[in-house]
Order: sequence, then structure tokens, then C-alpha cells
Amino acid sequence: MSSRTAATRVDEFRAVVSKITDAAQIRPGDAGHYEVDGCVPEVVVEPSTAEQLQQVLSEAYTAGVTVVPLGGGAHKSAGNVPESYDVALSLTRLDHIIAHESADLTVTVEPGVRLADLQARLAEHGQFVPLDPPCDAAATIGGILSANAQGPLRHAYGTARDWLIGVHIVHADGSMSKSGGRVVKNVAGYDMHKLYVGSLGTLGIIAEATLKVSPLPRSEVTLALTCRSAAQASDLVLAAHDAGLALRAAEVLSPPAANAVLGNEAWSVIVRVAGEPGTVTRTRRELDAASAALGTKVDERDTPAVWSAWDVAFRPGVLSLHVSVLPSSVGEAMQVLDRRFAGAGARLSATLTAGVIRANLKPTREARAGALVDAARDVASRYGGGVVVEAAPPVLKHDIDVFGPLRPDFAIMKRLKEEFDPRRILSPGRFVGRL
Amino acid sequence: MSATTQPEADARPAEAVMRQVVRELERVLGRERVISTPEELIAYEFDGTMERGMPQAVVFPETTEHVSAAVRVAHQFDVPVIPRGAGTGLSGGAVAAVGGVVVALTRMKRVLEIDPVNRLAVVEPGVVNLDLSRAVAEYGLYYAPDPSSQRACTIGGNVAENAGGPHCLAYGATTNHVLGVELVLADGEVVWIGGRTRDVPGYDLTGAFVGSEGTLAIATKIVVRLMRLPESTRTLLAIFDAVDDASNAVSAIIAAGMLPSALEMMDRNIIAAVEPVIRAGFPLDAEAVLLIEVDGLEESTVEQAEAIDRICRDNKAREVRLAVAQPDRERLWAARKTSISALGRLYPNYYVLDGVVPRTKLVDVLRQTYAIAERYGLAVANVFHAGDGNLHPNLLFDERDPGATGRVLDAGTEIMRACVDAGGSITGEHGVGLEKRDFIGWIFSAADLAVMSHLKPAFKAGERYNPCKAFPTHKGCGEVSQARIQRTAAALGADIYV
Repeated sequence: MSSRTAATRVDEFRAVVSKITDAAQIRPGDAGHYEVDGCVPEVVVEPSTAEQLQQVLSEAYTAGVTVVPLGGGAHKSAGNVPESYDVALSLTRLDHIIAHESADLTVTVEPGVRLADLQARLAEHGQFVPLDPPCDAAATIGGILSANAQGPLRHAYGTARDWLIGVHIVHADGSMSKSGGRVVKNVAGYDMHKLYVGSLGTLGIIAEATLKVSPLPRSEVTLALTCRSAAQASDLVLAAHDAGLALRAAEVLSPPAANAVLGNEAWSVIVRVAGEPGTVTRTRRELDAASAALGTKVDERDTPAVWSAWDVAFRPGVLSLHVSVLPSSVGEAMQVLDRRFAGAGARLSATLTAGVIRANLKPTREARAGALVDAARDVASRYGGGVVVEAAPPVLKHDIDVFGPLRPDFAIMKRLKEEFDPRRILSPGRFVGRL
Repeated sequence: MSATTQPEADARPAEAVMRQVVRELERVLGRERVISTPEELIAYEFDGTMERGMPQAVVFPETTEHVSAAVRVAHQFDVPVIPRGAGTGLSGGAVAAVGGVVVALTRMKRVLEIDPVNRLAVVEPGVVNLDLSRAVAEYGLYYAPDPSSQRACTIGGNVAENAGGPHCLAYGATTNHVLGVELVLADGEVVWIGGRTRDVPGYDLTGAFVGSEGTLAIATKIVVRLMRLPESTRTLLAIFDAVDDASNAVSAIIAAGMLPSALEMMDRNIIAAVEPVIRAGFPLDAEAVLLIEVDGLEESTVEQAEAIDRICRDNKAREVRLAVAQPDRERLWAARKTSISALGRLYPNYYVLDGVVPRTKLVDVLRQTYAIAERYGLAVANVFHAGDGNLHPNLLFDERDPGATGRVLDAGTEIMRACVDAGGSITGEHGVGLEKRDFIGWIFSAADLAVMSHLKPAFKAGERYNPCKAFPTHKGCGEVSQARIQRTAAALGADIYV
């Protein structure tokens, strides 16, 4: 199809959709906000209700225009470069907390609800959603679910898939379906909602999500343990985990990361100790004893200060990597990565028990982005793992699949995408294998 | 429980075709791994429900290659394949609804690998749930999902049904403990989904597969997460003079910001059945007891047990007992886990239901459950996972009473409806299977089901695996549910577990 026809299609779509909801030509000044990997769409549509969202997608399906859903844009660096991006579908006006059943420990939200706003509302009832991805205040629940974004709390609480119990999804043709429900235990029907977590909007658009929530801990302290090596830091975390100590989070930091977070350039471990007062006391005592035996230092730190510094240090940057290996390999892999990334100001932070190493890098002329990604993949594969590039310069992203080599189950994923989005209008090209 | 309209004739393979299938199965697997005579097959007609369906052949693979070879034969002759573990399921999931080949996975029972540092194990599908926990105990680890049938049920069956158990209140159901699965697809292809590391790029196919009730593929290897055995466990028994008070105590515990590892309720009829057998010390005049367990560091369990004790007393518990020593705790759990089979002491027959309601609706729906049973002239005994609102009413009856079985099924339907009307679900852990496929329309619309139907082509499953299960009746599955009416609950077997 010629570009003229494509432009006409988008114009016609905008004309129709503007009768339904706000649909505007993107002004040059706003382009940056909607830009994804250097691609700027023609039009932004901002539905205010789930019905409008359905109508918008129905029109997009008819017109054959391609759509990328966006929340606050906090995770838009994820995924491959869109193959086509006609319309930015902004979900920020779908921002209602539909129901918080505090006694049932569930909350139902629209996708545009900001994480920070949700946490503030839940905190009034002594509860929270245990998702803490590094992100700015604009990050929305829809974006976090779509990107399967996660943070240090993963150590104790797992990921979004463990907390999402039901969704309403708007499909490529504008139809809506649900899976799961609002009860915490439910095995009726296939668990379709598992598929939507981390799918980057390539199967459908989340119109409503129900999550389990958790009680906030009674008391909490943050400790920083200064170590001599990555191996020692990882041994400490494994020992604490084995002892069943009450840790909500336990991150191993490389020296540059510790410098950014703690102002102390050394291999370090930061932990959130939480629970009933006696449990916290016991956990501190054991950590002190373990550290003394190893000759390492333990400091109590201000909880909000440390974790907000961590958050800022690990937001998606110029080049951000998510390395996944077995927990037992984390210490060694970090040591090797730290060496291979020399010169790129590499900050590494590992949620050791999940086998996740995050890396934020600043490529240079000497340490180019492509070479850094290759190095990370080389190291990860040596430990039986893989690397997902969570942010990278578009020029590099054009050349690589950010998800890495295809796996044997790719054929199933390809057929799944074909079933859900036969016309390929939903974030085409962004997912694994450029689906 | 379903109305039936369509004939089954077109779904059940013709005997002539099956003779060829059996010959071919014997050729590729060896005669010793195939049975096909009526006398041999009869043991595979049932599972833990009132459902029944006679398979036309049963095969006993010992390797992934065997499974793949058997499935290829079925594919070639276009006959149904029904994966089966221990046959303890409670929704008819392992019943050969329209005949075909049952693939019994009980000989694939090796624990292939234990990785204590990374807290994972790779197992074959026929490994018995409790055997896995025993195999890893020497490393101080266990496998958390603990359906009450855990002495018999298999990990493969648990994966198919996304099985739960008392301790999934704090630790999640099977889906939260499976990292990867080796699958045999309907054309015999072998493929891995998920993996050993926690994160694998792409759609969460493992999450979609767990709980798919044997309709998408056969799991031949499963990577499971293991958990560390807690340093300390405390079990409380709280005794109440009113079911409402016990329900309110459950809500108060959750509202106080505590999440015990288990929070179970048993009512008067359950106590009457189980106490004379197990002698756990349940007072026969109590209306309800709560079994509450906390685990973790010693300090944590002490603090939590004290708080829970106080909350129960505030909610009119007559007495709260604490068990710390393992034999004492085990006696309490033995009472819980054998409670349903003990019902046979009270009545010749019982029918186990599985519904979910929001925790806050427990009081209301329990009252309705008693009222519905009374209206149908039936006794009901409740033993269930109160902490997550997962009810298991057991309707007690004597199938020799004229019309009793019909009343039980009708009362069961009404109770399910009450759960749905309260904002809940038709199944919390037993699955939809044959038993509830006609109720699924109560919670999912045609559009919802149409989207779920995308999974079968994605997995290339077609209707090869476990036809007529989990979703509403389609052509060829009509007569399937009739059998349940004829089946007497008396033949349910020695043990029913929930």
C-alpha cells in the first residue's frame, strides 16, 4: 500500500473516532511524549471509558490502522521497534479505582490508574500492591502489567502474574472479554490473564484489572551490608534466604550501583527486613552475626531514602538490560558482567533469589551498545540464562531482537498472536520474534 | 447435572477403528503397555466423581517418546486422548467421556533432578505429590501445593487442574509453583514451555497451560519450585458455638493484616463424622471449628499465634487450643484431611461441591447452603478453605431413597448458583471437567469463551485431548453427563479428598 493511502486511512480513522472521543493530530511539540523508539504516530486517541476504548479499536480494526497503547510512558522503551505505529492509544483517562474490597484483599482498577495513586489509596487501609518497578510517578497499572515491570519486592512477593486474578480485555476488533474474576481462588476457564502480563499490548488492551493486595508489614528497617566481592554478597543473601529470615527484598549491588544508591562504592547488599517486631529483631540479630563472621559491615539506613535512590538508579535508561540466570549463578555472573561492562558506568542490581540481574549502562565510543548487549548475552548463555534489552538506542534496536534468540515454543506464540490479532494492528513487531 | 440434547454417537470412535488403534499402539509401545479388554478397562471408567465413561484402550507410557508415539497413533486414527494421573480428580477430568485412549501417566514417576540451591525439581507427571515433598525433605525443602489427596494424586494431575490445598492461602496454587513444562502436542510434537530460570521471554504459556484440564497437551516433564521447610509451625484449633462466629473470626484475622498459611473451617456434621475416627479432641457439641496454621521464624509464629488466639476469643470462640509439637499438629491435620471420607460413617453417600465466594460473603453463603440443603431434605457438612473463601459443602444422602440423587444434584446446582450470585466462582480447585461445564456460562459469556478457544489452535490441540471437558457441551458430547445420574455415590471409592 502506498504511503498516501496509509495517510488517508489514518485521516479517515481520526475523522470517525473524533465523533466518539478525543482524537487529535499530534502536534510537533508533543511528539516526544508519544514517540516509541523514534517512531512518532499521526494521531493520539484518548478514550475516557471502556466503551469508547472498544469503539476506538473497532474503528481501527475496520480502517486497518496500527495502534500502540500507552499509559504514562514509563515503560515504552520495552519491546522491539514497532513495525508500524499510526495511532497512540493513550489510556491515562481510564484512571478509576473501580473497587477496593479491603476485607477481601482485592482491588479492581482501570489501566490508567497510576501506581503511586493506587498505593496511596491502599495505604489508608494498611494495604499495598507488592509491585515496585523502578519508574517515574506517571507509571500506570496497565503499563506495569503490560511490561511485567518488577522491582526488589519480587524477592518475597513474586511478579504481577502472581497478583493478577482477573482482567477485562478489549481485543483487536473492539470486542471485550474477561478471564478470571474477583475472587482470590478460581480455576474456572483457561487463565487467559496470565498471557496478557508482559505481552506489551500485542494481544489486547487491558480495560480493567483485578489484583490481590497484601497487608503492609507492621514494622520495617532497611540494612546495607558492605561486602568484599560479588561472591560474598551473594553468599550472604543465599544464607539469609536459607535461614528463612524475614526479608521483603534483598538486592546485591555492584560497586557503581552501591555508589549511586548508598554513596559507598563497594559490593553491597541492601535488604528490607519486615514483619512483627520480634521477627525483625531476630532477623537483624542473625544478619549481624553472619556479617560479623565474614568481617563485613552492617548499617541501618533510611528506608524511603535508599529505595527511592535505588528506583532512580534503575529506571529504564540509555541501555537497560534484564539478565535472567539461575539464582546460584548470580554472584559469579555479576562479577563477570561488572568486568565485561568496564568503562560503561555499569550499575548492576540483582534480585538474587529470582535469578534476575538488572543492568543500567552508558554506552561510549569505546563500549558501544551493541557490544555491551553481545557481552551480556554471552555471559548469560554461559550460565544457562538469557537477556532481555529493556531500553536501548533505536539505532541498535533496529538491528537486534531485544528478547534474544527464539525458543522452541515460539511457534505456539506465533499462532497465539495470529488468533488474537490476525490483522496485526496491535503493537505490530514489538514482541518476541517481532510478532 | 447437565441437560442433554445431542447424541454421542458421532464422538465415540467405532470399535472397528479402535481395534486398529489398539494393534498399532501395541506395535509402537509393546503389548505390556496397552490394555483394551473390558475387564481391564473397568478400573479406568471412573475418577473421584459420579462421572463415568469407558475408555476403549489404556496405555502406560514410561517415557516422553512413548507418550509421543501413542499420541501420534491417536492422531493418525483421529481418536480422543485422555491424560490421566491417579484418578483422584473431583470434576470428571480423567474420565473418558466419549471413549478413546486413556494415557495413564502413573508409570512416569521419576524425580529426575533436585536442585536444592535453586530450589527446583524436575519431575515426571506421575510423581505423587507427597512423594515429591518426601524426596526433597532431606534438603530441608518441600513442594507447597498440598491438595488433601496428596498421598495419591500426581503432579501431572495437579498441573492439569491447577490444584490447590489448605496451604495455598499463603503460598498460592499449582500455577505459582510451576516454572516450565515439557509437552507432547496433539500431533506428537515434543516442545518445552517456560524453563528452569524464573524469567523466559515471550507469552506466559506455562501460566496458560496450568489448569487447562488436559485439553491442550500432555505434560511429560515438569519443573517445579520448592520451598524451604519453616523453622517453626503453630497450629491453632478454635472452637465455636455458632458458624457465623467462626466466619466472622476468619474475616477478622484477614482484616487484622494477617495471612496464616492455612485457615480451615469444619462444621458440626464434619466433626461428628471425623472425631470418633481420628480422636483429635473436637467437641461433638461445637457448631464449628477453625484450624489455623502459621509458619515462619519462631518469633513470628509466636506473635501471630497470640494475635489469632485473641481475635478468635473476641469473636466468641469457646476455646482456643494451640498445637506446637509435630504429632499434635499432625493429628489435627489428619482430622481435616480425612474428614470427607469419614462422612461415610453418617450417611451411605455424599456429594462434594467446590465453590468460591469473596471472603466477606462467607457468612451469607454458608447460611444459604444450610437453607438450600434443608429445603431439599438433605443434610450438609461443610469443611473448607475459609481463608480464601473456597467452600466445600458435602451433601449427605442415601441413594436408595427414591429421588435422593436427583435432589442432591439439584441442591448442588442451587448452591453453585448462590456462590456465583455472591460474586464468586463455580470452582476454586477441582476444575470444571465434565461436572460443571454447563455452569461455566454463569460466569463467562460466549465472548469470553470464544477468546479462551484461541488456545486450542495455538497449541495445535484441536479436540484431540480430553474432548467434552471444561467448556460447555458441543456437538458429540451430549450424552456424556447422563451417566452421572446412574452412577451411585456409594461407589465413589474409599477416599474422597478436598
